[in-house]
Amino acid sequence: MSKPIITTQNLKAYYITHAYGVERTVQAVDDISININAGEIYGIAGESGCGKSTLLKVLLGSFAPPLTVVGGSIAYHLDDQDIDGVNLPEDEKRDLRWKQISYIPQGSMHVLNPVRKIRDTFHDFISAHRTVTRKESLKMTSSYLRDLGLPDKVLGSYPHELSGGMRQRVTIALATILWPKLIFADEPTTALDVIVQRGVIQMLREVQQREGSTLVLITHDMGVHANLADRIAVLYAGKLVEEAPTRTILQEPRHPYTKFLIESLPSLEGREERNSIPGRPPALDHPPSGCRFHERCPLAKDICRTIDPEMITVGPSHRTACHVVAEELSHEPAI
Amino acid sequence: MTLLRQYILPRIVQWFVVIFVGISITFLIPRLSPVNPVDNALGRLTSFQTMDPEASQQMRATLLDLYGLDGSIVDQYLNFWGRLIKGDLGPSFQSFPTPVMQIIGAGIGWTIGLLGTSILISWTLGLILGSLAGYFSNTWWAKLLERVVITIYPVPYYILAFILLMLFTYYWPLFPLVGGSRGEPAFTWEFISSVLYFGFLPALSLVIGGTAFRFIMAKALASTEMTSDYVQYADLAAVPKRKILFFYVIRNTMLPQVTDLALSLGALFEGALITEVVFGYPGVGYTLYNAINSGDYNIIMGITLLSIVGIATASLLVDLIYPFLDPRVRLR
Repeated sequence: MSKPIITTQNLKAYYITHAYGVERTVQAVDDISININAGEIYGIAGESGCGKSTLLKVLLGSFAPPLTVVGGSIAYHLDDQDIDGVNLPEDEKRDLRWKQISYIPQGSMHVLNPVRKIRDTFHDFISAHRTVTRKESLKMTSSYLRDLGLPDKVLGSYPHELSGGMRQRVTIALATILWPKLIFADEPTTALDVIVQRGVIQMLREVQQREGSTLVLITHDMGVHANLADRIAVLYAGKLVEEAPTRTILQEPRHPYTKFLIESLPSLEGREERNSIPGRPPALDHPPSGCRFHERCPLAKDICRTIDPEMITVGPSHRTACHVVAEELSHEPAI
Repeated sequence: MTLLRQYILPRIVQWFVVIFVGISITFLIPRLSPVNPVDNALGRLTSFQTMDPEASQQMRATLLDLYGLDGSIVDQYLNFWGRLIKGDLGPSFQSFPTPVMQIIGAGIGWTIGLLGTSILISWTLGLILGSLAGYFSNTWWAKLLERVVITIYPVPYYILAFILLMLFTYYWPLFPLVGGSRGEPAFTWEFISSVLYFGFLPALSLVIGGTAFRFIMAKALASTEMTSDYVQYADLAAVPKRKILFFYVIRNTMLPQVTDLALSLGALFEGALITEVVFGYPGVGYTLYNAINSGDYNIIMGITLLSIVGIATASLLVDLIYPFLDPRVRLR
């Protein structure tokens, strides 16, 4: 198997602020080790404030103080070259953007310049990385949009003349026009209605399959993950709690938090009240000791309150960090 | 066509209404005041010589007619419009019988030259420097520039003007103390260079104050623009900074800046009162100052009318330019 396109080891990224001489740290990404393979769709799930957007910023290399990488490593493997993602100088990072690494922002964001026609925005983004004339960039854009099934007339439009769904599609096209190997998408379908969501999901898959790019998809919406992702990582309070292929996560989640997440998904068969997770996620400036989920966990034991659980392998490419699961596993007779 | 009917036409109608109402109010205000200019003028004339009552009555009637104060207020109003349409603002009281139009006309060229140039210079400088300082707010030069501007900005204009005047006409007599030019107006290098020479100091004082104000505005607008999603996204995509500055930041801050420019230019006709008085510059502001001191109502009226027309026209132009600056305006 080829080398993973991104490898992080014990990655820690904290927000460190100094206000009136008091240092405050928010442990938004804490000790995360993941491998993302070339060509897969890797989903990152978790509720608001669990650190998934922070993880994305760090992986994308687009962050500034107060967010600081305090430990661990990020390695990219692009074009048969290993690149150290943490210590890469700013101009080399900028050089990678769009050609190799790209970013699709949330649909509700106003990422298109309101006073510039779509074709001019495309020209700005293309010419930042390639020497092209206005005519060449227009030709590129027009043929790419046609391939993606977008009408030609959007080129001459201003952003406010497009619908929300169309704007999000144009943004996806804008992010992927230079065929990046690695695409990060942050809540690409949030703020869109369900019908439009389906089209956008379809388009994301198309874009990803075209060049066999890697798509890192961040959303709190487990439905979108179920539709798109090959593998899913579940984050809770800045920690990775479970990672497995999509089917496994949906059918046999092991971590109590993941179980709650999956259970809260509505299904067509049952119409009973969905269980919601009791309590609320902890504040990350003073995370709870031990397992960060123990305050809300129905299975919590004494050990959970004091000792941070290790990542253990519980099945084929299925990892989780839970004392209860570890204990069950040790009692199971080895086959 | 819909643009014309829905956007342009209502604004032109609005322009007429604003001017009509403005002029009507200017007509009314002095008539509501208890001071009677005719009695004032008569008082001035009779204060140093006695006049027989009949001559005084005749004088009174003539003055009433000249000032447009005879008849009922409705008659006066209609008369006033009748004269105004012919471009007749009446004679000046102080330098009787020179028409007001002629007196204003003598100053307006100076004012437009001085104020117009310094507004254009300070607007351009303030916009570019302010946007640069807002965009590169972390660099040492941006911080230095901002500190300098913040120091200059709160200095009251008349103090700034007096400092310049004292420094450059008294301690280092590089520039003239009063006046607008040397010699008769002619299209010769000698005359033009003297205009520049006489205008330099007053223009400098206006440019310093105007640039400081516009710098602060442009910097604040640019800083807000910097946090917008489209600027951050373009920066993430490594779009060159120069391009972001002009087409993403400044382009989006143009709307309020153009409004400021147009309204400043529209207010040209009021003249730069303090500047012209401090530097003894022969513009409209100086004329207005003298008119106020001597109670020359017709001149005050004339200059007020011109400013109303000037500002209304400037706002009309702004409204007509907006759709070219911001595509979103076109739909409204």
